[in-house]
Amino acid sequence: MVMLSALRRFSVVDERGKSARLQDLAVALFDGDYPPVTRLFYSVEDGQQMSLGWDDVRALEWEAKQIKVADLSAGEAAPPDSLKQEVLLVRDVLDALVLDLQNRRTTRANDLSLEEKDGRLVLRAADTSGRALLRRLSRGLFANAPDEFLYDWKYVEFLRGEPRSVRNGEGEHLRVTRLQPGEIAVLSTAIPYLHAAELLTLLPDPLAAQTLEVTLPERQLQVFEELDEEDAIKMLTLMAPNVAADLIGRLATGTATRYLERMPKERSARVVELLRYPEDSVGGIMTNEVVFISSGLTVREARASLREILKKPEFVYLIFLVDDDKQRRLQGMISLRNLIVADDDKRLEEIMDPYVTTLNHHEPAREAAYRVINSHMAAMPVIDDERKLLGVVTMDAAVTQVAPASWSSQAPRRVFT
Amino acid sequence: MSKEPAPQGLEPLAEADSLVLPTRPRRIPTALRVNIRGRSVQLRGLRRPPTGLLRWLLILGPGLIAASAGNDAGGIATYSSAGAKFGYDLIWVMVIITVSLAVVQEMCARLGAATGRGLLDLIRERFGVGWTLLAVTIILVANGGLVVSEFVGIGAASELFGVSKYIAVPLGAALLWYLVIFGSYSWVEKIFLAMTLVFFAYPVAAIMAHPHWPEVARGAFIPKLQLDSDYIFILVGLLGTTITPYMQLFQQSSLVEKGVARRHYGPERIDTYFGAGFSNMMSIFMIIATAATLHVAGQTDINTAADAARALEPLMGSSAPMLFGTGLLGASLLAGAVLPLATSYAVSEAFGLPKGVNLDFRRAPKFFMLFTALIVFGAGIALIPGVPVIQLLVAIQVLNGIMLPIILIFILILINDEHLTGELKNTRLYNVLGWGTFAMITTAVVVMLGGQLLEFFGVKLFGG
Repeated sequence: MVMLSALRRFSVVDERGKSARLQDLAVALFDGDYPPVTRLFYSVEDGQQMSLGWDDVRALEWEAKQIKVADLSAGEAAPPDSLKQEVLLVRDVLDALVLDLQNRRTTRANDLSLEEKDGRLVLRAADTSGRALLRRLSRGLFANAPDEFLYDWKYVEFLRGEPRSVRNGEGEHLRVTRLQPGEIAVLSTAIPYLHAAELLTLLPDPLAAQTLEVTLPERQLQVFEELDEEDAIKMLTLMAPNVAADLIGRLATGTATRYLERMPKERSARVVELLRYPEDSVGGIMTNEVVFISSGLTVREARASLREILKKPEFVYLIFLVDDDKQRRLQGMISLRNLIVADDDKRLEEIMDPYVTTLNHHEPAREAAYRVINSHMAAMPVIDDERKLLGVVTMDAAVTQVAPASWSSQAPRRVFT
Repeated sequence: MSKEPAPQGLEPLAEADSLVLPTRPRRIPTALRVNIRGRSVQLRGLRRPPTGLLRWLLILGPGLIAASAGNDAGGIATYSSAGAKFGYDLIWVMVIITVSLAVVQEMCARLGAATGRGLLDLIRERFGVGWTLLAVTIILVANGGLVVSEFVGIGAASELFGVSKYIAVPLGAALLWYLVIFGSYSWVEKIFLAMTLVFFAYPVAAIMAHPHWPEVARGAFIPKLQLDSDYIFILVGLLGTTITPYMQLFQQSSLVEKGVARRHYGPERIDTYFGAGFSNMMSIFMIIATAATLHVAGQTDINTAADAARALEPLMGSSAPMLFGTGLLGASLLAGAVLPLATSYAVSEAFGLPKGVNLDFRRAPKFFMLFTALIVFGAGIALIPGVPVIQLLVAIQVLNGIMLPIILIFILILINDEHLTGELKNTRLYNVLGWGTFAMITTAVVVMLGGQLLEFFGVKLFGG
C-alpha cells in the first residue's frame, strides 16, 4: 500500500540507469471496483512530458523509491493538451470532490491510497482526513502513516464534472446505482450541477429517470438542460407523465415543443394532455397514468386483463373501475389486495368500494393536495364534470405541492443569495 | 340537478348523475397555442418568460440590492476619509476602478456559471493543497478584518444613539450568532437591508451641499497623482474596499447557488455590470458629499462616526447622526452575519468538510467553530478600548487591498483555463482589462508598502 503523495516523489528509472520524475498516473476508471493504473507520465530533462504504458513497468522498488522501466526513451510524447479525455490521478482525482457512498455525503480526496495487486497498481482507497493534508503540506515529514479512516474506493464515486465526457450508462456497475433514487437525488443536490449531470449519465436510464423525478425542481432543470437531446428525450419518456409535464413546462417554449414532437407518440400525447391544465389546478398536479377496468367484469376476467395492463405503468396499488373503457365514467375503486383475495366468480361491482372521494380537474391544487393528504389514500381520482376519470393525484404529488414551506428548514439554506 | 355540492364519497358514485362542484369559478389563465405534430394545442402549463418591465426588474433587482448593501462600515469610512482629506481629488480612482470592478465581478460570475463551483473549490482542484492554504489564509485574514470592521461599525453606530459599544457589540454578536444558527435570519435580513436604504440620502445630500461641479469634474477625469504617503494609503484603501476579495468569493458563490447554468449566463452579465456601476456611483456621491461639507469647511480628518455623519447635514440637518447611525447599523449587522457565514462556508468547502446552516453542531463542528470564532474575534477586537474607529476601518480596507492582487491572479488563471470554462473563457479584451487591473493594484500596493518600508528605515520617499 502506498499513498499517492509518497508515490509522487518516486523517480522513474530505466535499465540504463537514466531517471526521470514521475508526473502523473492514468487509471481506467470504469475497470472494476479498483481502477488499475494504465499509463505513467514523467518529465524528461527538457521538461517535455512523456508517457509509458504500465506493461513497460518492470518492478516497483519501495525501498529505493523507484519505478523500474525498460527504456525511458521508448515513451511517447504526451503533452497535457492531448490528455483531456484521460483520468489522471494527480490532475483529476486528487483534491477532487468525491461522493462518499457509505455516509451519503460529499467529501474531498485529500490523498489516495494505491496497492500492488497481481503486478498491477490499483487505486484502493481515498483518504479524506485532515492528516492527509498535513502529510502533503509537510512533504511526508508528518502524518506519514496512512490514516485509519481510508475510504474503500469501492464506495467512493469520482466525477469529472463534464457530463459529455461519459458515454451513457458506462458506469452501470457502479455502487452508486445501488442507492435509492431519492438518496442519489439528495447526493446530486450537494455537488456542482455539472457533476450532477455527469452522475445522471452514469446511471442506467430507468434509474436516472427515477432520480430525476425526485430531484428538487431547480436542480432538476439545471441538470436536465446539460443532457444532450437524445438523453433528454429518453428521460422525459421514462419519467412519470406529470413530472415530465412539469419539467417541460419550465423549458423555453421552442425547446418544449421540439421535445414533445420527438418523444414517442403515446408518451407525448399524455404529457400534452397534462400540459393543457394550469399549473395551480388539480389537472396541473395529477398524473394520467392510471389503471382502470370496466366494473362489469368478473374478478377472474379482471385479473386476466390486468396482467397485461400492469406490465406498463408504475402506480398499481389502486385500480379504478369505470362503466366502460370509452366513456370512462368512474364507478368505484378496488385495491390490488382485495382483487387478489376475492372469489374468482364475483363481479367487480359487488366487491368494489363505490364511495370514492374525488377531485375535479379545475379545483385549486393546494386545497386538493391537503384533501389527498388528509384522506391518506395512496391516490385520489380526478374526474371532469361528466364524471369521466382523467387521472389521479398521488400522495407523492400532493406532498410535493404542499411541502416546500415546511421543507425550507430541511433543504440547504441559502447563504449567498 | 341540485345546486348544492354533491356529497363527496357519501353516496355511491354511480347514483349521483352529475357532480356540481364545490369550487368557486376560477379564472382560467390564457393558454399558449403551440403546434405539435401538426396539431395546434392550447397549453396552460407552459411557463412563459417574463417580458417588458418585469424582465428588467428581475434581472436588475439582485444587483441593485447587493449594491446598496455593499457599502458597509469600512466602505463608508474609507469614502468619507477620502472626501474629507483630499476633496474631489480621488474621484478619478473611483471612475477607473468602476471598469475594473465590473470586469472582476463579471469574471467571477462567469466562473461560477461555467463550473458550478465556488472560487476556493476551483483553487483547490486546480492548484492543489499548498496554494489552497495560501488562498484560505488570505481569505481568512481579509474577511476576518472585515468582520472586525463590521463590529466596529456596530459599536460606532450604537454610540451615535448614545448606547455604549461595550453593550451593543457583545449584544449584536450574540444576536447575529443566534439568528444565523437557529433560523430566523432570512427574515431579519430584510429589516437590516431596509435600514441601509438611508444611504440613498448621500446623492441628495451631495447635490444639496452645492459642490463646485467643475472641480468635481476635474477630480473625476484628470488623474492627479500625489506622492504623499497618506494619499497612497487612502488610494489603496479605496481599491481594497471597492474590489474586495470577499465580494469576488460572494459573487461567484451566489451565482452557483442561484443555479445559473452556463447556457443561461448571458443576461447575468447585465446584472453584474449594473451592480458595479451603481455601487460605485453611490461611493462617488459619498465622496462628493463629504468633500463638499467637511473638506470645504477645513475639516480634513475624520475620527468618529459623528464626523462622518456631518456629510448628511445639508439634507437632514440635526437628525443626520441618527439617520446615519441607522444606515451604518443596518449595513454592519447585514454584513456582520453574512461575512462569517460565507467565509466558513467557502473554507469548509475547500477542505471538503461538512457545512451548511441546516446541519447542527455535531454534524458540522468545524464549520460552526469557524463561524463562531470569526464572530468572537470580530467582536473582541472591536471592544478594545481607545481604538481610533475610522483609522482602523480604513486600515482594514488597505489590508484587503494588499491581499487583492493574489486572489486576482487565481481568478485570471482559472478563467483562462479552457478545460474549466470552455466557451465562457476570457476574451482578449477581458484579459487586457483584467491584467491591467491587476497591474494597477499591484503597483499601488508596492508603492505604498515600499514607501512605508523606506520610511521605517528613515528614508522619506514622499513629501507630506
